[in-house]
Amino acid sequence: MLMNRLLTQTAIAAALPTLLLACSPQATTDTDPNAQSDPAEDTTAAAADGEGELTIRANGEDFVRQGFVTKDGWQVDFDHVYVTLTDITAYQTDPPFDAETGGVPKATETVVISETVTVDLAEGDDSAEPILVKSVEAPAGRYNAFSWQMMPAPEGPAAGQTIWMQGTAAKEGETIAFVMKLDPELAYVCGDFVGDERKGILEASETADLEATFHFDHLFGDGEAPADDDINTGALGFDPLAAIANGNTLDVDMAALEAQLTPEEYQTLMGILPSLGHVGEGHCEETQLVDS
Amino acid sequence: MKLFGSALRSSLYQLGMMAIAIGGLPMAALAHGAHIQARTATAMEIQANYDSGEPMAEATVQVFAPDDPQTPVYTGLTDADGKFVFVPTAPGDWEVSVRQAGHGDIAVVPVESEGAIASTFTNDAGLTLLQRGMVAGAVTWGCVGTALYFGQRGKNRAHS
Repeated sequence: MLMNRLLTQTAIAAALPTLLLACSPQATTDTDPNAQSDPAEDTTAAAADGEGELTIRANGEDFVRQGFVTKDGWQVDFDHVYVTLTDITAYQTDPPFDAETGGVPKATETVVISETVTVDLAEGDDSAEPILVKSVEAPAGRYNAFSWQMMPAPEGPAAGQTIWMQGTAAKEGETIAFVMKLDPELAYVCGDFVGDERKGILEASETADLEATFHFDHLFGDGEAPADDDINTGALGFDPLAAIANGNTLDVDMAALEAQLTPEEYQTLMGILPSLGHVGEGHCEETQLVDS
Repeated sequence: MKLFGSALRSSLYQLGMMAIAIGGLPMAALAHGAHIQARTATAMEIQANYDSGEPMAEATVQVFAPDDPQTPVYTGLTDADGKFVFVPTAPGDWEVSVRQAGHGDIAVVPVESEGAIASTFTNDAGLTLLQRGMVAGAVTWGCVGTALYFGQRGKNRAHS
C-alpha cells in the first residue's frame, strides 16, 4: 500500500511540469554645483527601514564632455552647458512607473528636492563623472521613478536661461563660437534608470544615485549614425544655426532663434527640447513645455 | 516584490519543482562519466519591438529576479526577431532590461506561482491598434509570451 502511494505521488510529481507547460511556446534547457536658494529638501513619511544617502546627478554624456560631429558635419565642442533643475523628485512606485505608457507615478515613498540648482554638464575633463546636483538623506528602498522640472536660472552664469550652451562648431576650416540661450520651462517624468548598472536602490546606511540624463544628440544629430536614422532625421543639426551666425559668432536667445530661423526650423527646435531628458537610456514623459 | 497566486497554486508550483528535481537526479553515479540531462521548465518569451513595430534584433537583455534587482540572472541578446527566452524560477516581479544603441527600457513582468505571466498584467497601454493586436497575438500564441515596445530614437549610436 505504501509503495503504491509512493509510486502514485511520484508519477503525479513527474507529470505535473508537462501539464503546467502545455501552453508554453518554448522550453529551454539549463542554460554642487551652484545652489541658488536655501536648501529646502524634504522627505515624506518616516523611514521604516532606515535611511541612506540618495545622490542626484546630471549627465550630458560624452556628447557634452568630449564633443561630437553633428549630422551635418560640424565638430561641436562645449565649454559650458548650464542646465537648471528644480522640484526634483524621487519616487518609490508600486506598480513600477512606466514612462512609455505615461500617467502619474503611484508612489509609496517620495523624496523632494525643491530648491533650484544650476549645473554645468561640461564641467571637468573628457572622462568626468556625471555632475553632482544634490545629496539628501532618504528612506531606504527602490527609487524606480524620477521627475524634475527645468526653469530659467534665477541667478548665476546662466541667469534667465533654462539651458545655456557655449562652445565652438568647426567645419571645413570655418569655426563659429556660439552661445545658445534657451529659456523654456520643461518637466520630465521618468521611470527606472536604464543603463549598464541599476540605480536608485538605496539600502539603509548606504548610498545610491539617480541620474537626469540629457541627450544633446537629439538636437544636433549624430554624424556617426546614418543620415536616415531617426536621430538625424528628427534633429535640427548645426547648419541652420551657422546660417544665422554673425561672421564667426553666434549669440542667440529664443527670441532671436524664432526671428531668424525658418518657422519649420524653429518648430523642430521646440519639438526636440522635450526629448532631451532621459534616465540613462530610458525615456521620460515630457509633461510641460512653456516658452518663457 | 509581490507574490501572486493562491495557496493551491503555490502547492502546484512546489510539486512542479519537486518533479523537476526528481527528473534532474542522475540515474546512476558513474565515475568520470559525462552526463547531459534535459528537463522541462516554464519559459517566458519576450518579444522586443521598437514602437514602430520593428523588432529589436540583437538588443542587449538583462533579466533580474524578484529577489535581486542588482545582479542579472540572465544576460544575452535578442534574436533576429527581437525574441529572448528565459525561465523565471520563482514567482514575483521579474525585471527585463532591453537596450540597444543608447536607448532602451525596463519592463516589469509579474510571474505567478506556476511560472505564467499574471493574468492581470497588461503592457499594451498607449500602443497603436496594430501593436495591441501583436501583444494579444503573442500572449494567445505563447500563453507565457509577451511583447514589449520601446522608443526608437537614436537606435544606432551608443551613449556613454
